[in-house]
Amino acid sequence: MKHPRRWIIALLVLGFLILLALLPGGHKTEFQVAGEFQREVLIKLPTIGPFDMSVTKTVAYLWITVLIVCVVAIVISRSMKLKPGRFQFAMETMYDLARDGIVGSVMKSGKKQWFPYVGGVFFFILVSNLIGLFPLPFGEHHLPSFYAATANLNVTLMLALFTFLFTHYAGIRKNGALRYVKAWAPAGAPPVLKQMIWFIHVISEIFRLISLSVRLFANMVAGHAILAVFFAMALIFQSYLVGLALQGASVLIYMFEIFVAFIQAFIFAILSAVYIGGALDQDH
Amino acid sequence: MDAAAAKELGKLLGAGLSMGLGAIGPGVGLGIMIGKALESIARQPEVAGDVRTNMFIGIGVTEAVALYAFVVALILIFVA
Repeated sequence: MKHPRRWIIALLVLGFLILLALLPGGHKTEFQVAGEFQREVLIKLPTIGPFDMSVTKTVAYLWITVLIVCVVAIVISRSMKLKPGRFQFAMETMYDLARDGIVGSVMKSGKKQWFPYVGGVFFFILVSNLIGLFPLPFGEHHLPSFYAATANLNVTLMLALFTFLFTHYAGIRKNGALRYVKAWAPAGAPPVLKQMIWFIHVISEIFRLISLSVRLFANMVAGHAILAVFFAMALIFQSYLVGLALQGASVLIYMFEIFVAFIQAFIFAILSAVYIGGALDQDH
Repeated sequence: MDAAAAKELGKLLGAGLSMGLGAIGPGVGLGIMIGKALESIARQPEVAGDVRTNMFIGIGVTEAVALYAFVVALILIFVA
């Protein structure tokens, strides 16, 4: 017993896994990929106007994400030490990445003003993606399953909409509405060409919204679909031997998904920073 | 072949083709871009940070094209 704390943590994890396996609800004998992305209703609530207020799997994942982000942020900011421990050092590295690597490297002005939004979106998406790699008992029959809040187009579209609105808010507030819209076309171009370029720019602004949301959504859906397929190989081939033989591959996919979770959060945050920075400092 | 089976066949065939063909372009593009980025980092290691940041932006933009194909495939299978 050289490391008693490690043994305790390992035992806790083992106990948690056994508890998960003991959850009532039977087991699966068939596997459908689409079933993994169904939004199961956990708490049924009445519909108000066009909005269904029921608590679904996605909402539960969003709440868990918010809880983790808030608790970690509050705990780490309350217990700051001059000589950082392991946890604080990791968090400081992430904070540095968000401040210098994302905002500092692509924005010219308004760094201080827009860092809270870009950093917040970075940590929110990162935690949300990483939670998707833990099996939580929100699947059908309360079986543990993989899902992420960001594997839902509604969530990612909302995040992209925030970036879209903040981009134009920042541009209009700094440059004035008329000058901001005028600068979408280069000043020196002939009139007809100018109108066309302006029109193309408007379309590209709308497509930013689509590409930003669909990128994150499709990445998470594709990743989780591949993970689900590889973990359910035994069900697909109806043979334990195949399932056992392919566990190595599923571990590799799992490691790649951790990388993807980081990269997607990074790309979403850095593109938000690029768009907002572009609206603040218009080059033409 | 009756109409329902033909529709099913077309859906699945279209989904597979859209994903497979749609992955060619972004795959080639990503390969070229990352190769060039590595080349420039090897030539000038002092600008590695800047090159890496811009490479990730480019990766995000290029990769989105393949993901559009993925979404089209999903729509073909589950919605159409």
